[in-house]
Amino acid sequence: MTRAESLATIARARAIAPDVIDPPFARRAANALALTAVFGALAILVALIDVDPSAFANGQEALLRFLSLMARPNDGGMPDRIYGALLQTFAMALLATAMAFVVALPIGVLASRAVMRNAVAHFAVRRVLDALRGIPALVWALVLVSALGLGPLAGVIALALADTPYLAKFVAEALENVDERQRDGVRSAGGGWMAELRFAITPQVAPVVASQTLYVLEANFRAAAVLGIVGAGGIGYELDERIRIFAFDQVAYILIVYVLCVMALDYVSAALRRRLT
Amino acid sequence: MTRPASTRSEDAVRHLANPIVAHFESERARAVAKSRFAAVISIAVVTALLSGAVFASGIAEQSAGADPLGRIASFLARMSPDLQADVLFEGATQTGSLRHWFYDLPRWLRAIFETLQMAILATAFGAAGAVALSTLASRTTMPFAIVRFLVRRLFEVLRTIPDIILATILVAAFGVGPLAGVIALTLSTIGSLGKLFTEVNENADPSAFEGVRAAGGGWAQELRYGLAPQVAPNYASYTLIRVEVNISLAAALGIVGAGGIGMELERAISFTEFDTYLAILLLILALITTCDLASEAIRRRLMGQEVRA
Repeated sequence: MTRAESLATIARARAIAPDVIDPPFARRAANALALTAVFGALAILVALIDVDPSAFANGQEALLRFLSLMARPNDGGMPDRIYGALLQTFAMALLATAMAFVVALPIGVLASRAVMRNAVAHFAVRRVLDALRGIPALVWALVLVSALGLGPLAGVIALALADTPYLAKFVAEALENVDERQRDGVRSAGGGWMAELRFAITPQVAPVVASQTLYVLEANFRAAAVLGIVGAGGIGYELDERIRIFAFDQVAYILIVYVLCVMALDYVSAALRRRLT
Repeated sequence: MTRPASTRSEDAVRHLANPIVAHFESERARAVAKSRFAAVISIAVVTALLSGAVFASGIAEQSAGADPLGRIASFLARMSPDLQADVLFEGATQTGSLRHWFYDLPRWLRAIFETLQMAILATAFGAAGAVALSTLASRTTMPFAIVRFLVRRLFEVLRTIPDIILATILVAAFGVGPLAGVIALTLSTIGSLGKLFTEVNENADPSAFEGVRAAGGGWAQELRYGLAPQVAPNYASYTLIRVEVNISLAAALGIVGAGGIGMELERAISFTEFDTYLAILLLILALITTCDLASEAIRRRLMGQEVRA
Protein backbone atom coordinates (compact mmCIF):
# COMPACT_ATOMS: atom_id res chain seq x y z
CA MET A 1 0.00 0.00 0.00
CA THR A 2 1.43 3.33 -0.96
CA ARG A 3 1.27 6.36 1.28
CA ALA A 4 -1.37 7.96 -0.92
CA GLU A 5 -3.54 4.86 -0.69
CA SER A 6 -3.23 4.76 3.09
CA LEU A 7 -4.22 8.41 3.33
CA ALA A 8 -7.19 7.70 1.11
CA THR A 9 -8.24 4.81 3.38
CA ILE A 10 -7.98 7.06 6.42
CA ALA A 11 -10.01 9.73 4.66
CA ARG A 12 -12.69 7.14 3.85
CA ALA A 13 -12.76 5.98 7.45
CA ARG A 14 -13.08 9.58 8.55
CA ALA A 15 -16.04 10.06 6.23
CA ILE A 16 -17.78 6.91 7.53
CA ALA A 17 -17.16 7.45 11.25
CA PRO A 18 -15.87 10.96 11.93
CA ASP A 19 -16.34 10.57 15.72
CA VAL A 20 -13.99 7.58 15.90
CA ILE A 21 -11.10 9.14 13.97
CA ASP A 22 -11.42 12.64 15.52
CA PRO A 23 -13.30 12.36 18.81
CA PRO A 24 -15.21 15.58 19.57
CA PHE A 25 -13.61 17.87 22.12
CA ALA A 26 -16.48 17.36 24.58
CA ARG A 27 -15.92 13.60 24.73
CA ARG A 28 -12.15 13.96 25.05
CA ALA A 29 -12.60 16.48 27.83
CA ALA A 30 -15.12 14.23 29.60
CA ASN A 31 -12.76 11.24 29.40
CA ALA A 32 -9.81 13.28 30.64
CA LEU A 33 -11.93 14.67 33.46
CA ALA A 34 -13.17 11.21 34.49
CA LEU A 35 -9.61 9.87 34.50
CA THR A 36 -8.37 12.84 36.54
CA ALA A 37 -11.24 12.39 38.98
CA VAL A 38 -10.43 8.69 39.49
CA PHE A 39 -6.72 9.29 40.04
CA GLY A 40 -7.43 12.36 42.18
CA ALA A 41 -9.76 10.34 44.39
CA LEU A 42 -7.15 7.58 44.74
CA ALA A 43 -4.48 10.17 45.62
CA ILE A 44 -6.77 11.64 48.30
CA LEU A 45 -7.42 8.17 49.72
CA VAL A 46 -3.66 7.51 49.87
CA ALA A 47 -3.07 10.89 51.54
CA LEU A 48 -5.81 10.26 54.13
CA ILE A 49 -4.79 6.76 55.13
CA ASP A 50 -3.43 6.36 58.62
CA VAL A 51 0.02 4.97 57.78
CA ASP A 52 3.28 5.98 59.40
CA PRO A 53 6.08 6.19 56.76
CA SER A 54 8.68 4.97 59.27
CA ALA A 55 6.51 1.91 60.01
CA PHE A 56 6.62 1.18 56.31
CA ALA A 57 10.43 1.29 56.24
CA ASN A 58 10.85 -0.77 59.43
CA GLY A 59 8.22 -3.22 58.26
CA GLN A 60 10.10 -3.93 55.06
CA GLU A 61 13.18 -4.91 57.08
CA ALA A 62 11.10 -7.17 59.31
CA LEU A 63 9.39 -8.69 56.30
CA LEU A 64 12.74 -9.49 54.69
CA ARG A 65 13.80 -11.25 57.90
CA PHE A 66 10.54 -13.26 57.90
CA LEU A 67 11.01 -14.19 54.26
CA SER A 68 14.58 -15.39 54.84
CA LEU A 69 13.23 -17.63 57.62
CA MET A 70 10.47 -18.82 55.31
CA ALA A 71 13.02 -19.88 52.75
CA ARG A 72 13.82 -22.90 54.97
CA PRO A 73 10.47 -24.59 55.61
CA ASN A 74 10.50 -26.84 58.65
CA ASP A 75 7.79 -28.92 60.29
CA GLY A 76 9.04 -28.01 63.78
CA GLY A 77 9.08 -31.70 64.82
CA MET A 78 5.30 -31.92 65.06
CA PRO A 79 3.99 -33.03 61.70
CA ASP A 80 1.22 -35.04 63.40
CA ARG A 81 -0.27 -31.91 64.89
CA ILE A 82 -0.09 -30.03 61.59
CA TYR A 83 -1.67 -32.79 59.53
CA GLY A 84 -4.28 -33.38 62.23
CA ALA A 85 -5.23 -29.72 62.14
CA LEU A 86 -5.42 -29.82 58.34
CA LEU A 87 -7.73 -32.84 58.50
CA GLN A 88 -9.85 -31.03 61.07
CA THR A 89 -10.03 -27.99 58.77
CA PHE A 90 -11.27 -30.15 55.90
CA ALA A 91 -13.78 -31.91 58.15
CA MET A 92 -15.11 -28.56 59.34
CA ALA A 93 -15.47 -27.37 55.73
CA LEU A 94 -17.33 -30.56 54.80
CA LEU A 95 -19.75 -30.39 57.74
CA ALA A 96 -20.40 -26.68 57.16
CA THR A 97 -21.12 -27.32 53.49
CA ALA A 98 -23.63 -30.05 54.37
CA MET A 99 -25.25 -27.84 57.00
CA ALA A 100 -25.47 -24.85 54.64
CA PHE A 101 -26.95 -27.06 51.92
CA VAL A 102 -29.68 -28.40 54.20
CA VAL A 103 -30.61 -24.92 55.45
CA ALA A 104 -30.25 -23.10 52.11
CA LEU A 105 -32.48 -25.46 50.11
CA PRO A 106 -35.78 -24.52 51.81
CA ILE A 107 -34.78 -20.84 52.09
CA GLY A 108 -33.93 -20.78 48.39
CA VAL A 109 -37.26 -22.37 47.45
CA LEU A 110 -39.13 -19.86 49.59
CA ALA A 111 -37.16 -16.94 48.11
CA SER A 112 -37.77 -17.95 44.49
CA ARG A 113 -40.26 -16.04 42.43
CA ALA A 114 -42.62 -19.02 42.18
CA VAL A 115 -43.26 -18.89 45.93
CA MET A 116 -42.54 -15.25 46.70
CA ARG A 117 -44.99 -13.61 44.30
CA ASN A 118 -44.90 -10.13 45.84
CA ALA A 119 -42.25 -8.12 43.95
CA VAL A 120 -41.37 -5.91 46.93
CA ALA A 121 -40.91 -8.86 49.28
CA HIS A 122 -38.90 -10.67 46.60
CA PHE A 123 -36.58 -7.67 46.18
CA ALA A 124 -36.23 -7.22 49.95
CA VAL A 125 -35.37 -10.88 50.58
CA ARG A 126 -32.79 -10.83 47.78
CA ARG A 127 -31.18 -7.69 49.21
CA VAL A 128 -30.98 -9.23 52.66
CA LEU A 129 -29.39 -12.38 51.21
CA ASP A 130 -26.92 -10.24 49.21
CA ALA A 131 -25.93 -8.25 52.27
CA LEU A 132 -25.54 -11.31 54.52
CA ARG A 133 -23.44 -12.95 51.80
CA GLY A 134 -20.92 -10.15 52.31
CA ILE A 135 -20.25 -11.04 55.95
CA PRO A 136 -17.11 -13.21 56.10
CA ALA A 137 -17.13 -16.36 58.21
CA LEU A 138 -14.45 -14.89 60.50
CA VAL A 139 -16.87 -12.15 61.62
CA TRP A 140 -19.48 -14.77 62.58
CA ALA A 141 -16.82 -16.94 64.22
CA LEU A 142 -15.68 -14.03 66.39
CA VAL A 143 -19.06 -13.80 68.09
CA LEU A 144 -19.94 -17.52 67.98
CA VAL A 145 -16.81 -18.39 69.92
CA SER A 146 -18.12 -16.17 72.70
CA ALA A 147 -21.51 -17.87 72.53
CA LEU A 148 -20.52 -21.52 72.06
CA GLY A 149 -17.04 -21.58 73.54
CA LEU A 150 -13.67 -22.22 71.92
CA GLY A 151 -13.61 -25.09 69.45
CA PRO A 152 -14.61 -26.28 66.03
CA LEU A 153 -18.39 -26.11 66.64
CA ALA A 154 -18.34 -22.30 66.47
CA GLY A 155 -16.22 -22.56 63.32
CA VAL A 156 -18.58 -24.97 61.56
CA ILE A 157 -21.61 -22.83 62.34
CA ALA A 158 -19.78 -19.65 61.28
CA LEU A 159 -18.91 -21.20 57.91
CA ALA A 160 -22.46 -22.45 57.42
CA LEU A 161 -23.84 -18.99 58.28
CA ALA A 162 -21.57 -17.40 55.68
CA ASP A 163 -22.50 -19.93 52.96
CA THR A 164 -26.25 -20.20 53.50
CA PRO A 165 -27.24 -16.86 51.92
CA TYR A 166 -24.96 -17.58 48.96
CA LEU A 167 -26.39 -21.04 48.31
CA ALA A 168 -29.97 -19.94 49.01
CA LYS A 169 -29.71 -17.19 46.43
CA PHE A 170 -28.24 -19.67 43.99
CA VAL A 171 -31.05 -22.18 44.56
CA ALA A 172 -33.66 -19.46 44.09
CA GLU A 173 -32.06 -18.34 40.84
CA ALA A 174 -31.72 -21.90 39.54
CA LEU A 175 -35.43 -22.45 40.23
CA GLU A 176 -36.34 -19.25 38.42
CA ASN A 177 -34.27 -20.26 35.39
CA VAL A 178 -35.99 -23.63 34.98
CA ASP A 179 -37.06 -24.21 31.39
CA GLU A 180 -40.86 -24.07 31.38
CA ARG A 181 -41.20 -26.33 28.34
CA GLN A 182 -40.10 -29.38 30.29
CA ARG A 183 -42.75 -28.70 32.95
CA ASP A 184 -45.33 -28.28 30.19
CA GLY A 185 -44.19 -31.59 28.74
CA VAL A 186 -44.63 -33.47 32.00
CA ARG A 187 -47.98 -31.81 32.64
CA SER A 188 -49.27 -32.56 29.15
CA ALA A 189 -48.31 -36.22 29.61
CA GLY A 190 -50.66 -36.22 32.61
CA GLY A 191 -48.09 -35.78 35.39
CA GLY A 192 -49.12 -34.16 38.66
CA TRP A 193 -47.00 -31.68 40.63
CA MET A 194 -44.95 -34.48 42.17
CA ALA A 195 -44.04 -35.77 38.71
CA GLU A 196 -43.30 -32.21 37.60
CA LEU A 197 -40.93 -31.75 40.52
CA ARG A 198 -39.29 -35.11 39.96
CA PHE A 199 -38.98 -35.20 36.16
CA ALA A 200 -38.99 -31.55 35.05
CA ILE A 201 -37.56 -29.38 37.83
CA THR A 202 -35.08 -31.59 39.72
CA PRO A 203 -33.13 -32.74 36.63
CA GLN A 204 -32.56 -29.10 35.68
CA VAL A 205 -31.80 -27.72 39.14
CA ALA A 206 -29.86 -30.56 40.77
CA PRO A 207 -26.68 -30.45 38.63
CA VAL A 208 -26.19 -26.69 38.98
CA VAL A 209 -26.90 -26.72 42.70
CA ALA A 210 -24.62 -29.71 43.22
CA SER A 211 -21.81 -28.07 41.31
CA GLN A 212 -22.28 -24.87 43.29
CA THR A 213 -22.22 -26.87 46.52
CA LEU A 214 -18.85 -28.30 45.51
CA TYR A 215 -17.70 -24.77 44.86
CA VAL A 216 -18.87 -23.80 48.37
CA LEU A 217 -16.85 -26.72 49.76
CA GLU A 218 -13.71 -25.35 48.10
CA ALA A 219 -14.45 -21.85 49.43
CA ASN A 220 -15.09 -23.28 52.90
CA PHE A 221 -11.75 -25.04 52.99
CA ARG A 222 -10.09 -21.69 52.31
CA ALA A 223 -12.25 -19.80 54.81
CA ALA A 224 -11.89 -22.52 57.48
CA ALA A 225 -8.13 -22.06 57.46
CA VAL A 226 -8.37 -18.69 59.19
CA LEU A 227 -11.04 -19.43 61.80
CA GLY A 228 -8.48 -20.80 64.26
CA ILE A 229 -7.18 -17.25 64.72
CA VAL A 230 -10.26 -16.46 66.82
CA GLY A 231 -10.26 -19.91 68.42
CA ALA A 232 -12.80 -21.61 66.20
CA GLY A 233 -10.70 -24.67 65.30
CA GLY A 234 -8.62 -25.75 62.32
CA ILE A 235 -5.19 -24.98 60.91
CA GLY A 236 -5.53 -21.23 61.56
CA TYR A 237 -4.72 -21.76 65.22
CA GLU A 238 -1.44 -23.50 64.39
CA LEU A 239 -0.54 -20.74 61.92
CA ASP A 240 -1.42 -17.89 64.27
CA GLU A 241 0.50 -19.46 67.14
CA ARG A 242 3.66 -19.76 65.00
CA ILE A 243 3.33 -16.25 63.56
CA ARG A 244 3.14 -14.89 67.11
CA ILE A 245 6.47 -16.49 68.05
CA PHE A 246 8.03 -15.58 64.68
CA ALA A 247 8.53 -19.26 63.77
CA PHE A 248 8.25 -18.42 60.10
CA ASP A 249 10.09 -21.54 58.95
CA GLN A 250 7.17 -23.56 60.34
CA VAL A 251 4.65 -21.05 58.98
CA ALA A 252 6.13 -21.61 55.53
CA TYR A 253 5.92 -25.39 55.95
CA ILE A 254 2.24 -25.22 56.93
CA LEU A 255 1.43 -22.81 54.10
CA ILE A 256 3.09 -25.04 51.51
CA VAL A 257 1.23 -28.14 52.70
CA TYR A 258 -2.00 -26.15 52.91
CA VAL A 259 -1.65 -24.69 49.40
CA LEU A 260 -1.01 -28.17 48.00
CA CYS A 261 -4.12 -29.50 49.80
CA VAL A 262 -6.25 -26.64 48.42
CA MET A 263 -4.96 -27.30 44.91
CA ALA A 264 -5.69 -31.03 45.27
CA LEU A 265 -9.22 -30.33 46.50
CA ASP A 266 -9.82 -27.84 43.67
CA TYR A 267 -8.62 -30.44 41.18
CA VAL A 268 -10.90 -33.18 42.54
CA SER A 269 -13.87 -30.86 42.78
CA ALA A 270 -13.31 -29.51 39.26
CA ALA A 271 -13.23 -33.08 37.96
CA LEU A 272 -16.48 -33.89 39.79
CA ARG A 273 -18.09 -30.71 38.49
CA ARG A 274 -17.13 -31.54 34.93
CA ARG A 275 -18.96 -34.84 35.31
CA LEU A 276 -22.05 -33.10 36.68
CA THR A 277 -22.54 -30.65 33.86
CA MET B 1 -59.54 -43.43 30.08
CA THR B 2 -60.26 -46.47 32.22
CA ARG B 3 -59.61 -49.49 30.12
CA PRO B 4 -59.91 -53.02 31.43
CA ALA B 5 -56.60 -54.18 32.90
CA SER B 6 -56.57 -57.27 30.73
CA THR B 7 -56.50 -55.19 27.53
CA ARG B 8 -53.62 -53.15 28.85
CA SER B 9 -51.47 -56.14 29.69
CA GLU B 10 -52.35 -57.65 26.34
CA ASP B 11 -51.14 -54.39 24.75
CA ALA B 12 -47.92 -54.63 26.73
CA VAL B 13 -47.33 -58.18 25.62
CA ARG B 14 -47.94 -57.26 22.01
CA HIS B 15 -45.54 -54.28 22.26
CA LEU B 16 -42.82 -56.33 23.90
CA ALA B 17 -43.03 -58.80 21.05
CA ASN B 18 -41.81 -55.97 18.82
CA PRO B 19 -37.98 -56.33 18.83
CA ILE B 20 -37.39 -52.56 18.80
CA VAL B 21 -39.60 -52.04 21.84
CA ALA B 22 -38.04 -55.02 23.61
CA HIS B 23 -34.56 -53.66 22.94
CA PHE B 24 -35.56 -50.21 24.19
CA GLU B 25 -37.09 -51.67 27.33
CA SER B 26 -34.01 -53.70 28.19
CA GLU B 27 -31.71 -50.72 27.54
CA ARG B 28 -33.90 -48.54 29.71
CA ALA B 29 -33.97 -51.08 32.51
CA ARG B 30 -30.17 -51.23 32.39
CA ALA B 31 -29.86 -47.41 32.44
CA VAL B 32 -32.24 -47.12 35.39
CA ALA B 33 -30.37 -49.82 37.31
CA LYS B 34 -27.08 -48.08 36.58
CA SER B 35 -28.27 -44.68 37.77
CA ARG B 36 -29.83 -46.24 40.90
CA PHE B 37 -26.54 -47.96 41.66
CA ALA B 38 -24.67 -44.66 41.18
CA ALA B 39 -27.13 -42.91 43.48
CA VAL B 40 -26.73 -45.56 46.21
CA ILE B 41 -22.93 -45.37 45.94
CA SER B 42 -22.91 -41.55 46.11
CA ILE B 43 -25.23 -41.49 49.10
CA ALA B 44 -23.02 -44.06 50.84
CA VAL B 45 -19.85 -42.06 50.07
CA VAL B 46 -21.36 -38.77 51.24
CA THR B 47 -22.68 -40.38 54.44
CA ALA B 48 -19.31 -41.96 55.16
CA LEU B 49 -17.50 -38.67 54.52
CA LEU B 50 -19.87 -36.71 56.74
CA SER B 51 -19.77 -39.15 59.62
CA GLY B 52 -16.00 -39.29 59.31
CA ALA B 53 -15.98 -35.50 59.37
CA VAL B 54 -17.98 -35.39 62.60
CA PHE B 55 -15.16 -37.32 64.28
CA ALA B 56 -12.26 -35.63 62.49
CA SER B 57 -13.58 -32.14 63.19
CA GLY B 58 -13.73 -32.80 66.90
CA ILE B 59 -17.18 -31.30 67.35
CA ALA B 60 -18.35 -34.62 68.78
CA GLU B 61 -15.84 -34.30 71.63
CA GLN B 62 -16.64 -30.67 72.30
CA SER B 63 -18.94 -30.85 75.27
CA ALA B 64 -22.00 -28.66 75.02
CA GLY B 65 -21.73 -27.83 78.72
CA ALA B 66 -24.66 -27.48 81.06
CA ASP B 67 -27.87 -26.08 79.57
CA PRO B 68 -26.55 -25.11 76.10
CA LEU B 69 -29.92 -23.76 74.90
CA GLY B 70 -30.27 -21.56 77.93
CA ARG B 71 -26.75 -20.23 77.37
CA ILE B 72 -27.54 -19.37 73.76
CA ALA B 73 -30.78 -17.67 74.83
CA SER B 74 -28.99 -15.56 77.43
CA PHE B 75 -26.29 -14.77 74.88
CA LEU B 76 -28.88 -13.56 72.37
CA ALA B 77 -30.46 -11.48 75.13
CA ARG B 78 -27.11 -9.83 75.81
CA MET B 79 -26.67 -9.22 72.08
CA SER B 80 -29.99 -7.48 71.59
CA PRO B 81 -29.88 -3.79 72.45
CA ASP B 82 -31.70 -2.41 75.44
CA LEU B 83 -34.12 -0.14 73.58
CA GLN B 84 -37.09 1.60 75.19
CA ALA B 85 -39.79 3.10 73.00
CA ASP B 86 -40.40 6.23 75.07
CA VAL B 87 -36.75 7.40 75.11
CA LEU B 88 -35.74 6.05 71.67
CA PHE B 89 -34.56 9.40 70.29
CA GLU B 90 -33.02 10.82 73.46
CA GLY B 91 -29.31 11.62 73.80
CA ALA B 92 -26.43 9.22 74.22
CA THR B 93 -26.46 9.42 78.02
CA GLN B 94 -30.04 8.11 78.24
CA THR B 95 -30.14 4.31 78.61
CA GLY B 96 -32.59 2.81 76.13
CA SER B 97 -32.06 5.32 73.31
CA LEU B 98 -30.69 4.57 69.87
CA ARG B 99 -27.83 7.01 70.46
CA HIS B 100 -26.92 5.08 73.60
CA TRP B 101 -26.83 1.82 71.63
CA PHE B 102 -24.66 3.42 68.88
CA TYR B 103 -22.67 5.28 71.53
CA ASP B 104 -19.42 5.54 69.56
CA LEU B 105 -20.94 6.13 66.12
CA PRO B 106 -18.46 8.80 64.82
CA ARG B 107 -15.53 6.52 65.61
CA TRP B 108 -17.22 3.54 63.93
CA LEU B 109 -18.03 5.62 60.87
CA ARG B 110 -14.36 6.61 60.62
CA ALA B 111 -13.49 2.91 60.83
CA ILE B 112 -16.08 2.14 58.12
CA PHE B 113 -14.48 4.81 55.95
CA GLU B 114 -11.06 3.27 56.59
CA THR B 115 -12.44 -0.12 55.50
CA LEU B 116 -13.72 1.40 52.28
CA GLN B 117 -10.41 3.21 51.79
CA MET B 118 -8.45 -0.02 52.25
CA ALA B 119 -10.71 -1.90 49.84
CA ILE B 120 -10.56 0.75 47.10
CA LEU B 121 -6.81 1.29 47.34
CA ALA B 122 -6.10 -2.43 47.41
CA THR B 123 -8.34 -2.93 44.37
CA ALA B 124 -6.58 -0.10 42.49
CA PHE B 125 -3.05 -1.30 43.32
CA GLY B 126 -4.05 -4.93 42.78
CA ALA B 127 -5.67 -4.20 39.42
CA ALA B 128 -2.58 -2.26 38.29
CA GLY B 129 -0.33 -5.14 39.32
CA ALA B 130 -2.66 -7.65 37.68
CA VAL B 131 -2.67 -5.68 34.39
CA ALA B 132 1.12 -5.67 34.33
CA LEU B 133 1.59 -9.31 35.39
CA SER B 134 -1.20 -10.71 33.22
CA THR B 135 0.64 -9.53 30.08
CA LEU B 136 3.47 -11.80 31.27
CA ALA B 137 1.06 -14.70 31.79
CA SER B 138 -1.03 -14.79 28.61
CA ARG B 139 -0.11 -16.57 25.43
CA THR B 140 -1.10 -13.61 23.27
CA THR B 141 1.45 -11.27 24.82
CA MET B 142 4.23 -13.48 26.24
CA PRO B 143 6.04 -15.89 23.92
CA PHE B 144 8.13 -17.64 26.62
CA ALA B 145 6.23 -20.56 28.15
CA ILE B 146 8.41 -20.69 31.26
CA VAL B 147 7.59 -17.08 32.20
CA ARG B 148 3.88 -17.73 31.68
CA PHE B 149 4.07 -20.85 33.84
CA LEU B 150 5.85 -19.07 36.70
CA VAL B 151 3.55 -16.05 36.73
CA ARG B 152 0.48 -18.29 36.67
CA ARG B 153 1.74 -20.32 39.62
CA LEU B 154 2.36 -17.03 41.44
CA PHE B 155 -1.28 -16.02 40.84
CA GLU B 156 -2.43 -19.39 42.11
CA VAL B 157 -0.41 -19.16 45.32
CA LEU B 158 -1.59 -15.58 45.98
CA ARG B 159 -5.20 -16.69 45.46
CA THR B 160 -4.86 -19.71 47.71
CA ILE B 161 -3.22 -18.22 50.80
CA PRO B 162 -6.11 -16.62 52.70
CA ASP B 163 -5.88 -12.82 52.92
CA ILE B 164 -6.34 -13.03 56.70
CA ILE B 165 -3.20 -15.17 57.03
CA LEU B 166 -1.27 -12.74 54.82
CA ALA B 167 -2.57 -9.91 56.98
CA THR B 168 -1.52 -11.67 60.20
CA ILE B 169 2.02 -12.05 58.86
CA LEU B 170 2.07 -8.45 57.63
CA VAL B 171 0.76 -7.12 60.95
CA ALA B 172 3.70 -8.88 62.60
CA ALA B 173 6.00 -6.99 60.20
CA PHE B 174 4.36 -3.57 59.81
CA GLY B 175 2.51 -3.31 63.10
CA VAL B 176 -1.20 -2.80 63.77
CA GLY B 177 -2.91 -0.55 61.23
CA PRO B 178 -4.34 -0.35 57.73
CA LEU B 179 -0.98 -0.70 55.93
CA ALA B 180 -0.84 -4.45 56.55
CA GLY B 181 -4.45 -4.77 55.44
CA VAL B 182 -3.92 -2.86 52.19
CA ILE B 183 -0.85 -4.94 51.30
CA ALA B 184 -2.59 -8.24 52.11
CA LEU B 185 -5.66 -7.32 50.05
CA THR B 186 -3.49 -6.04 47.20
CA LEU B 187 -1.66 -9.36 47.03
CA SER B 188 -4.81 -11.47 46.94
CA THR B 189 -6.37 -9.06 44.42
CA ILE B 190 -3.35 -9.52 42.15
CA GLY B 191 -3.90 -13.28 42.42
CA SER B 192 -7.57 -13.27 41.51
CA LEU B 193 -7.64 -10.42 38.98
CA GLY B 194 -4.38 -11.63 37.42
CA LYS B 195 -5.98 -14.95 36.60
CA LEU B 196 -9.12 -13.32 35.18
CA PHE B 197 -7.18 -10.73 33.15
CA THR B 198 -4.98 -13.48 31.71
CA GLU B 199 -8.08 -15.28 30.49
CA VAL B 200 -9.42 -12.05 28.99
CA ASN B 201 -6.10 -11.43 27.21
CA GLU B 202 -6.09 -14.92 25.78
CA ASN B 203 -9.63 -14.54 24.47
CA ALA B 204 -8.74 -11.28 22.69
CA ASP B 205 -8.87 -11.43 18.90
CA PRO B 206 -5.25 -11.69 17.65
CA SER B 207 -6.10 -10.20 14.26
CA ALA B 208 -6.19 -6.78 15.93
CA PHE B 209 -2.51 -7.15 17.01
CA GLU B 210 -1.60 -8.42 13.57
CA GLY B 211 -3.21 -5.34 12.10
CA VAL B 212 -1.16 -3.04 14.34
CA ARG B 213 2.02 -5.01 13.57
CA ALA B 214 1.28 -4.94 9.83
CA ALA B 215 0.88 -1.16 10.03
CA GLY B 216 4.37 -0.97 11.54
CA GLY B 217 3.46 -0.77 15.23
CA GLY B 218 5.89 -2.03 17.89
CA TRP B 219 5.18 -4.09 21.01
CA ALA B 220 3.90 -1.13 23.04
CA GLN B 221 1.57 -0.01 20.26
CA GLU B 222 0.34 -3.57 19.85
CA LEU B 223 -0.70 -3.55 23.51
CA ARG B 224 -2.15 -0.04 23.38
CA TYR B 225 -4.09 -0.21 20.10
CA GLY B 226 -4.51 -3.96 19.57
CA LEU B 227 -5.12 -5.33 23.06
CA ALA B 228 -6.32 -2.51 25.33
CA PRO B 229 -9.52 -1.58 23.44
CA GLN B 230 -10.60 -5.22 23.43
CA VAL B 231 -9.91 -6.03 27.06
CA ALA B 232 -10.64 -2.73 28.86
CA PRO B 233 -14.41 -3.28 29.34
CA ASN B 234 -13.84 -6.74 30.81
CA TYR B 235 -11.03 -5.46 33.04
CA ALA B 236 -13.32 -2.71 34.32
CA SER B 237 -16.20 -5.04 35.07
CA TYR B 238 -14.01 -7.59 36.92
CA THR B 239 -12.34 -4.80 38.88
CA LEU B 240 -15.70 -3.37 39.97
CA ILE B 241 -16.82 -6.79 41.18
CA ARG B 242 -13.55 -7.13 43.06
CA VAL B 243 -14.20 -3.84 44.90
CA GLU B 244 -17.26 -5.47 46.46
CA VAL B 245 -15.31 -8.60 47.40
CA ASN B 246 -12.54 -6.49 48.89
CA ILE B 247 -14.98 -4.49 51.01
CA SER B 248 -16.25 -7.73 52.56
CA LEU B 249 -12.74 -9.00 53.11
CA ALA B 250 -11.53 -5.66 54.51
CA ALA B 251 -14.35 -5.70 57.06
CA ALA B 252 -12.86 -8.87 58.56
CA LEU B 253 -9.18 -7.89 58.35
CA GLY B 254 -9.34 -5.69 61.44
CA ILE B 255 -9.96 -8.77 63.58
CA VAL B 256 -6.24 -9.56 63.20
CA GLY B 257 -5.30 -5.88 63.63
CA ALA B 258 -5.00 -4.91 59.98
CA GLY B 259 -7.17 -1.78 60.16
CA GLY B 260 -10.78 -0.90 59.46
CA ILE B 261 -14.08 -1.73 61.13
CA GLY B 262 -12.97 -5.25 62.09
CA MET B 263 -10.81 -3.74 64.82
CA GLU B 264 -13.93 -2.22 66.38
CA LEU B 265 -15.69 -5.59 66.17
CA GLU B 266 -12.77 -7.27 67.86
CA ARG B 267 -12.72 -4.59 70.56
CA ALA B 268 -16.47 -4.99 71.19
CA ILE B 269 -16.05 -8.75 71.61
CA SER B 270 -13.03 -8.50 73.88
CA PHE B 271 -14.97 -6.10 76.13
CA THR B 272 -17.97 -8.52 75.83
CA GLU B 273 -20.17 -5.70 74.51
CA PHE B 274 -22.33 -7.97 72.40
CA ASP B 275 -24.95 -5.31 71.66
CA THR B 276 -22.15 -3.11 70.31
CA TYR B 277 -21.09 -6.03 68.09
CA LEU B 278 -24.61 -6.13 66.68
CA ALA B 279 -24.60 -2.36 66.10
CA ILE B 280 -21.31 -2.55 64.18
CA LEU B 281 -22.53 -5.58 62.23
CA LEU B 282 -25.55 -3.54 61.11
CA LEU B 283 -23.20 -0.75 59.96
CA ILE B 284 -21.20 -3.30 57.94
CA LEU B 285 -24.41 -4.63 56.36
CA ALA B 286 -25.38 -1.07 55.44
CA LEU B 287 -21.94 -0.49 53.90
CA ILE B 288 -22.15 -3.68 51.84
CA THR B 289 -25.68 -2.96 50.63
CA THR B 290 -24.80 0.62 49.64
CA CYS B 291 -21.74 -0.51 47.72
CA ASP B 292 -23.75 -3.28 46.07
CA LEU B 293 -26.32 -0.80 44.78
CA ALA B 294 -23.67 1.73 43.73
CA SER B 295 -21.60 -0.79 41.82
CA GLU B 296 -24.73 -2.14 40.14
CA ALA B 297 -25.58 1.40 38.98
CA ILE B 298 -22.03 2.05 37.74
CA ARG B 299 -21.90 -1.26 35.91
CA ARG B 300 -25.23 -0.55 34.24
CA ARG B 301 -23.97 2.86 33.09
CA LEU B 302 -20.70 1.43 31.75
CA MET B 303 -22.56 -1.27 29.86
CA GLY B 304 -25.01 1.28 28.51
CA GLN B 305 -22.09 3.29 27.12
CA GLU B 306 -20.71 0.22 25.41
CA VAL B 307 -24.02 -0.43 23.71
CA ARG B 308 -24.21 3.17 22.52
CA ALA B 309 -20.59 3.37 21.30
